[in-house]
Amino acid sequence: MTAVGRTVASLAAGAILVAGCVEPPPPLSEVPIEDAADIEVPTPAAESVRRQAQEITVRIRALGCERFSIGSGFVLPGGVIATNRHVIEQPREITVNTWDGRTISATVSGMAMDTDLALVEVATDVTLPAADVRTAPVEVGEPVLAVGYPGGGPATITTGRVLGLGRATVLGESSEVIRIDAPIEPGNSGGPVLDAQGRVIGVVFALETDRGWGLAVPAQALLERIEEAAFAPPTGDC
Amino acid sequence: MDAPHRPEQPTTAPTNTPWPPPTGGPTPRPGRRWPWGVLVLLLAAVAVGAALVALNQRGVAAEWRERALALEEQRDEATAANEVLRERFDEALAVLELSEQDVAALEERLRQLGGEIAQVQDEATTIRVERDVLVDVASEVRRAVDALDVCITQLFDLLGDSVAAYNAAAAGEFVDVDPLNAAARSTTAFCNEARSAAARAATAADQLLRR
Repeated sequence: MTAVGRTVASLAAGAILVAGCVEPPPPLSEVPIEDAADIEVPTPAAESVRRQAQEITVRIRALGCERFSIGSGFVLPGGVIATNRHVIEQPREITVNTWDGRTISATVSGMAMDTDLALVEVATDVTLPAADVRTAPVEVGEPVLAVGYPGGGPATITTGRVLGLGRATVLGESSEVIRIDAPIEPGNSGGPVLDAQGRVIGVVFALETDRGWGLAVPAQALLERIEEAAFAPPTGDC
Repeated sequence: MDAPHRPEQPTTAPTNTPWPPPTGGPTPRPGRRWPWGVLVLLLAAVAVGAALVALNQRGVAAEWRERALALEEQRDEATAANEVLRERFDEALAVLELSEQDVAALEERLRQLGGEIAQVQDEATTIRVERDVLVDVASEVRRAVDALDVCITQLFDLLGDSVAAYNAAAAGEFVDVDPLNAAARSTTAFCNEARSAAARAATAADQLLRR
């Protein structure tokens, strides 16, 4: 190869080298990636605690010997309805209204003698959503829901907290009660008191009118009497 | 016929015949060659340049490798976020389906309640009509009872007056029977009206019992 040829070859090699050079990468643009784990999927109304609280609570109308009383109750596993004894005393006719407007005839299954509790049975071919009863102890300050049919009107759900666990006179006997500050009115009697997860912790039976606090029989007392079969059949007619 | 053979003429060494001098300008050196030094320098320059370019490209290659790693990380993060988003979407879809079923069930119950309300309203209307009839019957009965009560009172009064007149007549006293007769006529007329009122109340009660 001549000198010129070698020179041209060298220059060509240099040109090829320069032509083959790659540019450095441009600045990396930041792509914001949102944390999808923070996205909250709402709880559907059908599964909400409030809906379940409504579904398990019933209105009870009892035609007694000398009076017509209206109260509330809630469905226990097995289809039995728990309520207050003073709601269904001396009953001649009992009707139960469900949250979706059904009217069902019922009979008294049994009444507790030492506390304001009673059990009511409906027809066997009726299926009602049952409550989940909590067995763990109630804690002061925990939030609660009180469900019922005050004045026999539409169902209401009021909120409050457990004020205390103490003793009060129930039907002439000293019993453990739960005090709550959720608004309670006549007609709420027999209705459930629920915790934040929708589990029953008590049965409303009275209202301390001077302070406006509600009183409830602990759910534990209800379960104990059911286990001990401590519900006596109702007495005879008027 | 062959060409005539010519004896080879002896070759003689060429004689150096000097080039004629160029007109104008320096005289070029005879036999000038390309300078090897320049070529070497050029080659060296090319080599150095190539080395520099190679070094630079090595750095660029490292940057591109880092960029590839960074993009892979971004891709992995985006893929993970996409998976979470997909899960949230599926959850939301399930919630939506449940809500739609709930709405459909509530709508159906609403329709049933509408029918039940209409039925209850019909029954309420019937009860209202029967109540109105009962009120009418009660009014009629009330009127009849009042009229019969007055009738009975007048009858008792007439009986008393009649007994007194009989006793007076039996004692030989003069008894004016005209007032008694007038009272009897008045009482009879009033009691007949009372019996008519009672008959009307009975008819109204019969109509109610036949419903």
